[in-house]
Amino acid sequence: MTSSPLALYLMLALVLFCIGMYGALMKRNTVIVLISIELMLNAANLNFIAFSKYGPNPSLFGQVFSLFSITIAAAEAAVGLAILMAIYRQRKSVHIDDYDSLKH
Amino acid sequence: MQVAWIIPLFPFVSFILLLLLGKRLKEKSGMVASLLVSLSVLASFFVFYERGSGDTFVREVSWFSIGEVDISVGYQITALNALMLVIVSVISLFVHLYSTAYMKGNERFSIYFAYLGLFTFAMTSLVMTTNILQLYVFWELVGLGSFLLIGFYFEREKAKAAAKKAFIMTRIGDVGLFVAIVLIYLHVGSFSFHELFQRVENGTLSSSVVTTIALLIFVGAIGKSGQFPLHTWLPDAMEGPTPVSALIHAATMVAAGVYLVAYVYPLFLASETALTVVASVGAFTAIFAATIATAQNDIKRILAYSTISQLGFMMLALGTAGYVAAIFHLTTHAFFKALLFLAAGSVIHIVHTQNIFQMGGVKDVRWTSATFVIGALSLSGIPLFSGFFSKEEIFLSVWESGHYTLFWIAMITAMLTSFYMFRLVFLVFPGEKKDREIRYVESPAMMKWTLGIVAAASILVGFIGHFLSDWLESDFTSAFTHAEGPWWMPVVSTVFSVAGILIAYQLYRPSKAPKESSTNRLLERGYYLDEAYNRTIVAFVKGIAKITSVIDRYVIGGLVATIAQSVVWLGKRGAYAQTGKTQHYGAVAFFGLTILLVIYVWMGGYW
Amino acid sequence: MNGEIIAFSILAFVAIIGALFMIQLRKVVHMVVALVFTFLSLAGLYVLLSAEFAAAVQVLIYSGAITIMMLFGIMLTRHGDEEKKGSRKKSVAIFLFLIAFAFSFYIGISQLDFGQQETTLHVDNTKEIGILLYSHYIIPFELTSVVLLVALVGAILLAKKEEEE
Repeated sequence: MTSSPLALYLMLALVLFCIGMYGALMKRNTVIVLISIELMLNAANLNFIAFSKYGPNPSLFGQVFSLFSITIAAAEAAVGLAILMAIYRQRKSVHIDDYDSLKH
Repeated sequence: MQVAWIIPLFPFVSFILLLLLGKRLKEKSGMVASLLVSLSVLASFFVFYERGSGDTFVREVSWFSIGEVDISVGYQITALNALMLVIVSVISLFVHLYSTAYMKGNERFSIYFAYLGLFTFAMTSLVMTTNILQLYVFWELVGLGSFLLIGFYFEREKAKAAAKKAFIMTRIGDVGLFVAIVLIYLHVGSFSFHELFQRVENGTLSSSVVTTIALLIFVGAIGKSGQFPLHTWLPDAMEGPTPVSALIHAATMVAAGVYLVAYVYPLFLASETALTVVASVGAFTAIFAATIATAQNDIKRILAYSTISQLGFMMLALGTAGYVAAIFHLTTHAFFKALLFLAAGSVIHIVHTQNIFQMGGVKDVRWTSATFVIGALSLSGIPLFSGFFSKEEIFLSVWESGHYTLFWIAMITAMLTSFYMFRLVFLVFPGEKKDREIRYVESPAMMKWTLGIVAAASILVGFIGHFLSDWLESDFTSAFTHAEGPWWMPVVSTVFSVAGILIAYQLYRPSKAPKESSTNRLLERGYYLDEAYNRTIVAFVKGIAKITSVIDRYVIGGLVATIAQSVVWLGKRGAYAQTGKTQHYGAVAFFGLTILLVIYVWMGGYW
Repeated sequence: MNGEIIAFSILAFVAIIGALFMIQLRKVVHMVVALVFTFLSLAGLYVLLSAEFAAAVQVLIYSGAITIMMLFGIMLTRHGDEEKKGSRKKSVAIFLFLIAFAFSFYIGISQLDFGQQETTLHVDNTKEIGILLYSHYIIPFELTSVVLLVALVGAILLAKKEEEE
């Protein structure tokens, strides 16, 4: 391969991110949307760790940061699902188009 | 004379005071106002006396300057001014006193006196000015005072209309005055009268300029003094309270026009054309108004047309170089016309109507009748009454100037004058009461007293003729000749006046019934001049107003409405973007980000 | 052709396939399973990048805890099968914009190369990370724990059943 390892990792992350973005914007089921968001966060983590090894100043900082990122992602997923539960109890549906009471 | 500026100050204070405290003072407003005006009267006499023993006094301060132009304000006391101050303040005082009784019980009692104060302030300031711009300011202010007072009974449509008419018509005249002011400034470089007169004397102004300015100033005077053709507002102005008519439309404001012409007399003396125009307009107006007066039924309207006619006499005098005669007549007219109006007010108060054909037998009310008849005799020019002396002077000056046609017109007018006045007298005073029910009760004491004093004054003022010419001459470098006229003149004029009385007696004797005729109708409607104005000028202006109103409502209003509507439309359309769906919002955010990124990449950095 | 590149290719391939299947599959549970594959292969990639601790954490948290959470979410909510109801226009637009997005990034990163350096990241990886966490990054560490606490309490509160009167 002519591309450097760094470029390869970054492109992989890009692909994963785009797939995740597609899912987040297109899917009807709210749970799937949440899952797609997790995928996007993963792609970002991969970026960090790739830079920590192959970037201009290799250090452990990228990895540490990705740890924090994972933690926060977990917290966010938990809260997101809790909210989903609460809404589900109200509307009996996980179809994301049903959550539009803020429309004009 | 240094403190002459306080003369207008007292009525001004009265105005402000009554505006602020009027509600609380109520009935005392009249006394407060009268007190302040009497202080003004004292000051005027004092100034008069000082001027008599001294010279013309001038005082000016710089008001503001724009670039190289310096506008100043100030006052001066010439012989003419001193006299006018006395006349204005004295008559104003009597009107104040009379009004305390006449307007008693009116809800807006204090406002009335406030307006009187405003008017007096404006009038006294007007007669003291040093430059024509300042005069214009007070000219307009006087017009405002007149407007407010004519429309005092504003609940009545007629009063409102009359006030508007007065203001608008005098405004038309004021345009002429304004153009004159502009011309003066252009040619003289200053507004000051002093400079103007110097330039005229030096002959540095071309005669056409002088004539134009003089004529334009006269246009302003036509408006204010009710000369033909701007006279129709005066009869309508009788909608105001009667004391107002006495003050404004007999003695002071309408005299302002005459005063103005007299004040800039050097200008007129330098232009033969202007003098001729003034004299002709004056004479025409005099006879014109006198004919109309013979057919009027309303006591106040008769007096109004009489005022127009007498002002025409004054203009005639001025136009024939009879400066002293004109001022003399102005003085006597001020007193006996005020007397007539006040007495008419008393008559109306007694009889409760203004139609002379519904009156009769008022002679039993002795005091009012006596004072009214004194005024009538004065106006008719019966010997020994003041009108006789001043009219004599006018006839003399016209004769001396050689305008014989104008002379005979004046004589005929004098006959008409006594005719219509005594028509009024014979219909109102002798004979039987037309309406049996009404009891005639003499007017309140205050009214009686003021009537008495004004009557006495109006008789006395007739004898100041000689002194007046000496007095006024101290203003001018060149003396006026006061030649004695032909011996037959007083006789002829008396004959004409008495003839008028006799004719009136024949036609309107108590036992005779008055007759109607078609000429009567023509005269009564003032030669249908009002109707003519209505059909032409008023209709034209209304047409323009309608067009502009349509433009305003549909074009401009439409434009504004369209803009507003389009904004609303835009907002409504934009509201559709708020779907409430998260994915839409997210998608839009993503799109924006992508666009920014693409631009970034394309431009190789931020642009 | 060294092993690193082979390993990378295989792991990358699995990751992408997992993600794609996640998008395409019909049943939700199947989607989650595909996602797990992606998470696991990402952990493998982390190992390749000398981040063993991160790999372990990834396996534990993501493919462990988060996946279970998602499954709970799916179980507790009823859904009809995935209906593909999105509008044509919208998916095309999103697709296009994604292409543009990806392309612009690609331009940026395709030639990125900082040169290979010898790193000591793999030496005592866990220990070093631990030292860093407790010295340099102690404050974010503590704050993260606060965040977790808050998230915990919040999630409980939000998901609690309303009490019947």
